Amino acid sequence: MTTLTSLAKVEAIALDRAQLIRTVRHVHVSPRPLIFVPLQLAGEACAPLAAMVGDDRDHERLLIAYEPRDRTERFRFAAGLGEVILGYVDGYAAGDPGEGVPYPDAPQVWVPNAGGMKFAELLGRSTRFRRTEGPHPVPASVPLLGRWVTYLAERAQHPLSSLFLSATQALTAHWATGQSATEDQNLATLLAWIAPPPGQTGAQAALLAENPARCPPAGPVTDPDFDRDVLEGLIKAIVAARQSGDAAARERAQALMARELHSVLKPTWDLMWQAVDLLRSLPPGDHVAERWKTDRFSFTGYVRYLQEGGVPQARRDAAVDAARRLARLENEAQQLAAHMAYDDPLVMAEYRMTGDAFAGPVVRAEPDRLDETGKRARLRPWITVETTDDVLAELGADLRSPARPAQQARVIEVERAGERTRVTIELQSGMGRKLVPEPGSVPGLGDVVCYTTFKAEFQPPPKFPDREDTPWTHGGPPPEYVPRDEEAAEEWE
Amino acid sequence: MSSPGGAGTERRLAWLRGGELPQTHNARTIAALASNPGCARRALLDAAATRKQDIAEHAGYPVPFGMSPFALSRGVVFERQLKDDPGGLLLALLRETLNLDIAEVGFTDLNDVGGSPDLAVRHARTKAVLTGRPDQRGTLFDHPLLRFRVGGRHAYLEPDLIAFRHDDTFHVVEIKSFAVIDGQADPAKVAAAAIQSAVYVLAMRDLVGDTATVHHESVLICPRDFANTPLATTLDVRKQLGVLERQLSRIAGIDSVLAHVPADVSFSLDADEKGVPQRDPGDLLRDIKRVDANYSPECLASCELCYLCRDEASGSTSVLGKSVREELGGIESVPRALKLARGDDPLPVPEDLREAAAILRRAASLRRDALAAARAETW
Amino acid sequence: MGEPLDSAEALEERISALRAAVRRAVLDGDADRARALRRDLSHAEQDWDNALDAQAARAQPGSLEPAPERDDDQSPAERQPRGEPRGGTLLPLREQVHEALSLLQVPAAPRLIATVHEAFYATSFPTARLTSLRRDEERSFKTAPFARPYYICAALAADFLSPSRGLLAISTWPMERRIIGSLSPRVDFLVAAINVAQAIEQIPQPVPAARALLARFAANVRGSSSANSAGRPSGRIEPRSVIRAAQAELAVHQDEDHAARAEAARRAREQLDEPEQLFGAASFRRAATADKLAGER
Repeated sequence: MTTLTSLAKVEAIALDRAQLIRTVRHVHVSPRPLIFVPLQLAGEACAPLAAMVGDDRDHERLLIAYEPRDRTERFRFAAGLGEVILGYVDGYAAGDPGEGVPYPDAPQVWVPNAGGMKFAELLGRSTRFRRTEGPHPVPASVPLLGRWVTYLAERAQHPLSSLFLSATQALTAHWATGQSATEDQNLATLLAWIAPPPGQTGAQAALLAENPARCPPAGPVTDPDFDRDVLEGLIKAIVAARQSGDAAARERAQALMARELHSVLKPTWDLMWQAVDLLRSLPPGDHVAERWKTDRFSFTGYVRYLQEGGVPQARRDAAVDAARRLARLENEAQQLAAHMAYDDPLVMAEYRMTGDAFAGPVVRAEPDRLDETGKRARLRPWITVETTDDVLAELGADLRSPARPAQQARVIEVERAGERTRVTIELQSGMGRKLVPEPGSVPGLGDVVCYTTFKAEFQPPPKFPDREDTPWTHGGPPPEYVPRDEEAAEEWE
Repeated sequence: MSSPGGAGTERRLAWLRGGELPQTHNARTIAALASNPGCARRALLDAAATRKQDIAEHAGYPVPFGMSPFALSRGVVFERQLKDDPGGLLLALLRETLNLDIAEVGFTDLNDVGGSPDLAVRHARTKAVLTGRPDQRGTLFDHPLLRFRVGGRHAYLEPDLIAFRHDDTFHVVEIKSFAVIDGQADPAKVAAAAIQSAVYVLAMRDLVGDTATVHHESVLICPRDFANTPLATTLDVRKQLGVLERQLSRIAGIDSVLAHVPADVSFSLDADEKGVPQRDPGDLLRDIKRVDANYSPECLASCELCYLCRDEASGSTSVLGKSVREELGGIESVPRALKLARGDDPLPVPEDLREAAAILRRAASLRRDALAAARAETW
Repeated sequence: MGEPLDSAEALEERISALRAAVRRAVLDGDADRARALRRDLSHAEQDWDNALDAQAARAQPGSLEPAPERDDDQSPAERQPRGEPRGGTLLPLREQVHEALSLLQVPAAPRLIATVHEAFYATSFPTARLTSLRRDEERSFKTAPFARPYYICAALAADFLSPSRGLLAISTWPMERRIIGSLSPRVDFLVAAINVAQAIEQIPQPVPAARALLARFAANVRGSSSANSAGRPSGRIEPRSVIRAAQAELAVHQDEDHAARAEAARRAREQLDEPEQLFGAASFRRAATADKLAGER
């Protein structure tokens, strides 16, 4: 939590509704996202109960495991879910885009919250090793679903990726509510603060939305009262009807269960589309499309990997893979932070608070200054920026500006006078080839400019030993991962 | 565990509770005492063994703290699977985890005493068995019944299993049904299990009267991956023991809290003979509010009075969480923070808030500028 | 129970209405009403279960057993329709239990009995039915003592000679074998392991269920296989090595266990009447002790 966000939370209370903490949207929002609201049976590691899923807000699909503790039912559920999700994913993987070219678009899946993401990860873990032949055969859509949701869950760890989003996370990244971070995990109360119904304050709307009888939890775990009052009896009835071989009774009980589950899932389904709409209504940041392109490349790569018969993801990364992955995620996090700051003055303001960026008017400019110390004269304009921000940059520091991200700049002088600081900067590139700068490539007198100590350009991640050179301290070179029979036959009780 | 300050305190606490039956504690409710030790309201309600859930409901702030029947039955099934086979699977698991000798196989069932489920009888038997001669003691003890003193009252506690090892140490064994998948479990659930087993460790130490013989390493048995195959891991609960002991001594020293509570405060529901509360809810609420609370969003996960205290704390930055409050320089009031940020507080800024006020003003001006820049789309 | 089909449907409607009412009450914050409605709801669900049972009984006139409780470790594919065991003969439940216990030669819990029967006699039965079996046997014994050649009876806890929780035994076994002392759970586990391994040795082609059972024993006897306790069995398990390992450990516990059992058996023969010797001493109640302890609180 930063001071700016904390201040926005205080304002949210005073103004009775959530406040924007970003001026642009920093996630990609697909024109046709797939909404996935999973429910699981309480107390189990990963016992799917139901899911509402689909890419059309008017046509939700309801999938149900009528006997959630039963292995066969689970695989039937996974197969059904597989058909929906794979059908959606396949829609983006038509044809061959050609070597080195990504598909024109990629799938985007939304779940309500962090629990939904964890559920997807576990669902992937429990289905991707299954085999379609041999002792415990499953439909082909089951292991394929497992690989895709595992892929998505893994991508969700990447700060730059928007392939798999949690609605609460995406919303809280853009709005500050008048409730705590814990309460922001509740999609219903979060949206109550962001868009309270007419005539209600955010706090009033959130209080109503907190009642699980009014707003069923967005899952994956259901309301314990619902489990006790509704679900337990229904599941018992279905099991009893099956055991007694009474098909009609079973059908009736299943229909009842479908109706009840629809009624607890539909409110969240509607909230999910509301979340998508709200985010879509924000203008996208300039780097969003660039980041989505890396998602498209990643998606294209995984489609190809599967087409070439790639094995399912291993249960755990080998040492070097894990270290490389962590370094990549760290690197991406820095890159995202810089992107956001460059795209969004409210994010930049955070860096201005901490002294990693400063902004102010140009109070002196020598746009035609030449450096004639070398053999040939070089164009080296100087500008002086006056700011009331704290300036951490020291003499000789490299600076960048969001207005001209490719232009190199160096601190020549820092003069502090009371509240104000004057920073003189030498511009070193991005002004054309002549000894006179291209129009607009040097800020003019009176222009308000912003400079940062970090860059938004891609930074290559650190080098790691190749797989085969894994040091012995990290277990030596790992064996090539080969899925084993026992993984395919693992119990799912 | 020292008892709180004598008969006067006891009378005072009984008065606070009114005619209600005292709440019986279990490991979970005792573990919950460890959260929010700075809350006088909570310390007092717990020390007086009040039924907080009923009080919250009657005062107009019911909390849904239910547990799903599916979660309950899952726990029962998993434990039964282990206990059905005490000489096989359970023993083999513990042999490996605790390095038991081959001769250490004795299993004593303390679920009942000759068929009697009477708690006092069971506790007496547990005590006799666990404090008997070590060479005649056996190794595994199923559902011993321990006793624990909280706020002047005894609570009975029933750990899943206790193991006694050749080095004369007892280990608490907890059987939990949450899964450990590829070596990882839900950290919140592991933390809850750790603090619950710390409660058992304290109760065991109380029973055997010796700290050293009850080990601070408990054993946690959970299902592995998606199957019912059990997996045992040791859990160091020293930190949890420290936290609990501090909080329990605070409850034991309840006199200092009582000294600040007006003598006529009561949490009684004035229930009639059918158990229906007759007290005016507004009156009850007023009395509750006469004891200071220390609300934070963490209370939502552990205290029955959380909605009441949250409502009471509205307008305070504490409802937003500790880190927000810190970022706001510790300023307690929402309107105050806003006034300082806007620089339009007519009162002079006190010395200790000057720095916080300056940071807030700066943040507010940056926020204003950025929003204006975004609207003007000039950057 | 009227016309079961109509009543089942009427009950469904009532259940549905009650559920809606419960939720309304919860929504209104009316806890008392919600509690009352929940009670009605659970009664209605009970009635509905009964209605379905009655219906099922009519649909299958041959089956008289109550609907078995769901057993978590069986998938529907493995579960057989009631009253139609695969293979084997249609023996009464008590005889199936007798078969399994005779193979094990030690008191056992219902789950193990069912697993053994499935492994060696190719029929399984829901363990929930075994709970009522012991009660039926006791009733039968009290009505006409020793009228049957054997009874499925209890194992007795060595300390108070009360029935040991969950264990079943055969009445014709010597009393010592039916006593459960502190070491007996392990000793009996090892004896069962040996007997299961020996039985498997005599079968040319043991079914997978039998091999799985042996693997489970092997996993929990040190030195009988490469698998550890928590791991899945790896490869084929040799019955010989299970027997050897179990016998080696048995030698460590046997004498002490036997002495404890013999002593308790002597007490049982002296103190208990015949039904008690088979089904356990009546609940241990010493009010004086309880009162004394209560005073300490």
